[in-house]
Amino acid sequence: MATTTGTTRRNGVSAAAPAAQEPREKTKDSTRAFNVTAAVVLTVFAVLWLLPSLFALKTSLTTNSTAALGAPAILSDLQITFGSYLTLFQAGDIWNWYLSSFITSAVTTVLTVLFASMGGYALSRLRFPGRNLVFLLMILGIMVPAQVLVVPTFQMLDAAGLLNTYWAVIFPQVPAVIALFVFKQFFDGLPRELEEAARIDGAGYWRIYRQVVMPLSGPVVAAMAIVTFVGVWNNLILPLFVLSNPELMTIPVGLATVQGSFGQMFADIQASAVLGALPLVVLYMIFQRRIIEGVAGTGIKG
Amino acid sequence: MTTLTTPPPVPPSAATRPDGSPDTGTRVKTRDARAGWLFLAPFAFFYALFLIVPTLYMLITSFFNTSLVRPGLGSFAGFANYAEMFGRADFWSAMWHTLQFTLYTTPPLVVLAFVFAVLANRLKRGQWFYRLAFFLPFVLPSATIGLIWVFIFTPGTGLWPTVQGWLGMEPTAVLADPSWAMVGIAIATVWWTIGFNFVLYLAGLQDIPRELYEAAAVDGASPWQQIRSITLPLLSRTTTLVVLLQIIASLKIFDQVYLMTQGGPGISTQVALTQIAAIGFTDNRIGAASAFSVLLFIVIIAIALIRQLFERNQDRSA
Amino acid sequence: MSTRLPQGRASVPAPPGPSRRRVLAGGLAGAGALGLTGGLSGCGSPLAAGVAGTPLNPESVTFWNLFGGGDGARLQTMLDVYREEQGSPESLTAATFAWGNPYYTKVVLATLGNKPPDVAVAHATRATILAEAGLLEPITDDLLGLAGLSSSSFTESVWEAGRVGDSYYTIPLDTHPYVLFYNAEVCQQAGLVGDDGKLVTIEGREAFEAALTEIKGVTGDVGMVCSNVGDTSGSWRLFQTLYWQMDGATDFLGEAGQQLTVNEELALATMDYIGGLAKSGLITPTIDYAGAGTKLFTGKAGFQTQGEWEITTAQGIEGLTFGMVPIPTVFDQPAAQADSHTFIIPRMERTDAQRELAMGFVKSLLDQSLTWAEGGHVPALKATLESPEYQALEPQADYASAAEIAKYDPPGWYSGSGSTFENIVGAQIGLVQQQLASPQQALDAIKEQLRTYLDTPSPVLGS
Repeated sequence: MATTTGTTRRNGVSAAAPAAQEPREKTKDSTRAFNVTAAVVLTVFAVLWLLPSLFALKTSLTTNSTAALGAPAILSDLQITFGSYLTLFQAGDIWNWYLSSFITSAVTTVLTVLFASMGGYALSRLRFPGRNLVFLLMILGIMVPAQVLVVPTFQMLDAAGLLNTYWAVIFPQVPAVIALFVFKQFFDGLPRELEEAARIDGAGYWRIYRQVVMPLSGPVVAAMAIVTFVGVWNNLILPLFVLSNPELMTIPVGLATVQGSFGQMFADIQASAVLGALPLVVLYMIFQRRIIEGVAGTGIKG
Repeated sequence: MTTLTTPPPVPPSAATRPDGSPDTGTRVKTRDARAGWLFLAPFAFFYALFLIVPTLYMLITSFFNTSLVRPGLGSFAGFANYAEMFGRADFWSAMWHTLQFTLYTTPPLVVLAFVFAVLANRLKRGQWFYRLAFFLPFVLPSATIGLIWVFIFTPGTGLWPTVQGWLGMEPTAVLADPSWAMVGIAIATVWWTIGFNFVLYLAGLQDIPRELYEAAAVDGASPWQQIRSITLPLLSRTTTLVVLLQIIASLKIFDQVYLMTQGGPGISTQVALTQIAAIGFTDNRIGAASAFSVLLFIVIIAIALIRQLFERNQDRSA
Repeated sequence: MSTRLPQGRASVPAPPGPSRRRVLAGGLAGAGALGLTGGLSGCGSPLAAGVAGTPLNPESVTFWNLFGGGDGARLQTMLDVYREEQGSPESLTAATFAWGNPYYTKVVLATLGNKPPDVAVAHATRATILAEAGLLEPITDDLLGLAGLSSSSFTESVWEAGRVGDSYYTIPLDTHPYVLFYNAEVCQQAGLVGDDGKLVTIEGREAFEAALTEIKGVTGDVGMVCSNVGDTSGSWRLFQTLYWQMDGATDFLGEAGQQLTVNEELALATMDYIGGLAKSGLITPTIDYAGAGTKLFTGKAGFQTQGEWEITTAQGIEGLTFGMVPIPTVFDQPAAQADSHTFIIPRMERTDAQRELAMGFVKSLLDQSLTWAEGGHVPALKATLESPEYQALEPQADYASAAEIAKYDPPGWYSGSGSTFENIVGAQIGLVQQQLASPQQALDAIKEQLRTYLDTPSPVLGS
C-alpha cells in the first residue's frame, strides 16, 4: 500500500506507483516533523511578507497627525479614518493619473498582444527568407535593456513631437520581444492539423490566424495580456522622463514626482501608494491563475 | 468529437489549390514569404523604431558632446566621453554600487525563493495564502514600494527603528546611513520581487514526479536528503535561469534607488542607471550619458551571452 | 478531445472566444474608461492632450512650483485668492513638485517637450542657467508693463541676479536667508533672553559656544540642531554661512564653475568647527529635516539653524514661543547663505492674450507679497519691503537684515539651490557632522566628485 499522508497527486503524470512497502517509522516521523516545521516557518515568513503592505494600509486609514507621530502611534490607533482617501479623490490628480495609466496600459496591451501573436505566428509557421536573421535579431532584442535606451528614446520622441502624449509611453513599449517569443513557442507546440485542414480548404493565412490559431491561444493571450498590462502600468523610468505634465502622468510617475504638495502628510502619502496599486491588486485577485501562468511561462521560456 | 488523426503527409508539390491547379512549391513559398513579412511587419516596425534606432542613436551620440537643450549632435568628441567615464570616480562607484546591489539581492532572492517554494510545495493546504503573501508585492508599482519602505525606514519613528527598539537593538536610520542605505534598498527589493522567483520554483517543483520522493522515502531518506538528492539537481536548470535573470534585472535597477534615496546619502546608492539619468537629464549632457549607457549595455550583453553559453552547455550535458 | 500542450500537462484548449470572466472584466474596464473619458474630454483636457498633443488648458494659467510644507500651504491660499479674483476655480492649474534637481529637470524637459507651464517658480541661482539654455522668455519692460510693474519695482540686487548678458529673465519674489530659530522658553531658562523678550546678541566663538553649553544644560539633550540627513542643502547652507563669516573667504567656484577657488584652509576650518560642535554634543550629529524642527519645538534644543520659511511650521505649534534672528557672527563678519525665489516664463509659443494672462497671475501673487512675507520671506517688491505693515511684522523684523548680508551660491552650470554642487558638498559636510568623515576626507571627496564638472564646459551654452 502506498503511503497516504493526505496528499493528492498534483502533477499530470498518472499514478502508476509500484506497490511499495511502508516506509520506516523513523522516516514517517521525520517527514511529519519536517512538514510541521515547514508549515510554521513558511507561515511566519508569509506573515512577515504581508506586514509592510498591511502597515501601509493601516497608516492610510489613520489621520495625518497620528501618522506623523510614528509607528507606535499608528499601530495603537484603533480608529479607521478615510480622510486621506477623500482628500486624494477630491484633489483630482489621481483621476488623471488613473486615466493616463489605464489608456497607456490598455492600448499597449492590445497592440503588443496583436503584433506579437502575429509575429510569433510568422516565426513559427511560415518559412520565409530572412527568417533566421529575424530570429537572431529578436534574441538580441531580449538582451537589450530598454531602460538603457531611455536617453536616446527621449531624444527621438522629442524630434517626433510626441513628448507629453500617451504615445510617448505606448510606442516604445509595444515591441515586447518576450511576448513574441512566448507566442512563438506556444504556436510551435500547437498541432498543425487544424491549420493544415483549413489551408487545404483554401483559407488564407489571415483567416487561419484569426479563426484557427488565435481561438486556441486563450491561455497564452490572457497571460501575455496581463503581464503586459501590469508591466506598462508599473513602468516608471520611461514615463518619468517623457511625461512632464502632472495631468498626463501615469500613476507611478505621479506618485513619484508630485509629492511636494503632500509635505509631511504621511497618511495621505500611504493612501496614494495604496490607490496607485489598487487596480493591479484587483486585477491580481481576479486573474491570479493567469498571472502566475504568465510569469511561470515567461520565466521558463525566457 | 473524435480525436484527430494525422492525415498522411502531403508533399507540397502534390498539393492542389481550390481551383484545381497544382500548388507548386515556389508559389507556396512566395505566399509564405509575403505572409511572413506582413505578419511580422507591425512588430518589426516598432522593434526597429524603438529598439534598433535608439541603440544606434545611443552609439552615435556617445561620440559627440550632444546637449539636451541644444539642437543637433554638438561638437565631435571622439572617445572623450568614454575617457571621461573611465576617469570619473562616480562612474566606477556607480558600477560598483550596481554590482553591490546585485550581490545583496541575488542570493536572498534565489535561496529564499527556493526555500519558500520547497516548503510550500510540501504543504497541501493554504498554497493560495503563501502565493498571495509572496507574490502580491510583485504586482505593486515601484512607486508604491518606494513610498511604503521609505515610510517604514523613517529615522526614529518608522516601523523599522521601532521594531529594532522592541528587539533591543540600536535603531538605525537605514536610508540615511551610507553604509546601510543600499541594504535598505536591497531589503525593499527582495520583499518586492521574491514572488517572481517563488512562482518559477513552484512551477519547476510541480514538474518533479511525486514517485521519486516516495521511492526515496521508502528507502529511508529523510526530507533533507530527499531535497538534496532529488530536488536540487532537478531544479538546477531553473536555478540557473533564476540566477541569471536576477543578475540582469539587478544591473538595470533604477526605480527603487530613484524613489527611495535619489542616489544618496551622498552618492552611496547611486547606481548605473540613476547616474546615467542624472548625467543626461540633470546635467543636460546627452553625449556623456550615452557613453555610459553603451558601457552598461556591453556589460549586460556580456552576461546575457554567458547565460546563453551556460544554457547550451547544460543542455548538452543534460 | 484533448491535446497535449508543451508543458506536458493534460489540458483542454479554451473554448473559442474570450472567457466569461474576461468579458466581464473587460466590460467593467470599458465602462470605467468611458466614464472617465466622458468626464475629461474636451479641447484642453488631458485626454485630448495625451492623444493628440493639443495644448493643455489654453484658457487658464498653468503654474509650477516647488513649495512644500508651510510655504506650500501659504501658497495655496494665495492661489485661491487669484482664483477668486478670476471668478473661476478652473482659471489656474497649479502643480507642486519635489524640491531640487527633480523640479528643474521637469521644467527643462517640459519646455523641450513644448508643454511647459505658463509661469514657474525658480531660484535666482537656477534661473540663470535655464536662461543660458535658451529655455526662458526674457522679461522685458513691456512684459512687466502688462502687470503694471517695472524693473525698479524690485530690490536692485535681486533684480540684477536675474541678468544674463543684456537681458533679464526673472521676476523677483523674495530673498530667503538661512537664519537662527530659538525656543524662547528654553533660552530664557538659559539666561539668554533680554528684557525685551528677545535673544541677546551673541558674537564670537566663545559667546556662541557658551550659549550652546548653557542651553544644553537646560534641555539635557543638545544646544542646537542642524539637520543633515536627507538634507544636503541644509548642510551646505550651514557651511556657506560659517565659511563666509571668516576673513579671507573666497567663492567656492570661479570662472562660471570651471575653477575651484575655495579657500581650502578656511573650508577645512569650517568643517572642523561643525564636526567639533557635533563631537562635543553641542549640536546633534545626525538628524533629519523634520526631526530637527521637532527637537526645537519640544524644547530638546534651544537653537536651530534653518531657512526662514519654516516660520509657518513653528507658528503652528501650540504653546511654543519662538524667535528668529540672523545666525550669530561666530567668526569675523556677519554672513548668511541665501537665495531668491523668482517667477520665470518658460519659452513656448504663446499668444499675447496668454502672456497677459500669465502676467496678470504674477501681478496677483506679487500683490500678495505681504502674505508671502508672513511666511518668513523677505519681499523683493520694494513697495512691500518698505511698507509699514511689513516692517511691523514680528519676528520678520528681527532678521530682515540677513537679506542684506546674503551670500548666494557660487556661479556654475551645475550650481544653485538644490543643485548637484550643493548635493556633493552638502553630503560631505553632513558626513563630517555625523562624525563619519574627517574634514580632510570630506574635502578630498568634494574635489574628486567635482572634478568632472569643473572640467566640463557648460552644456547649456550655445557653442
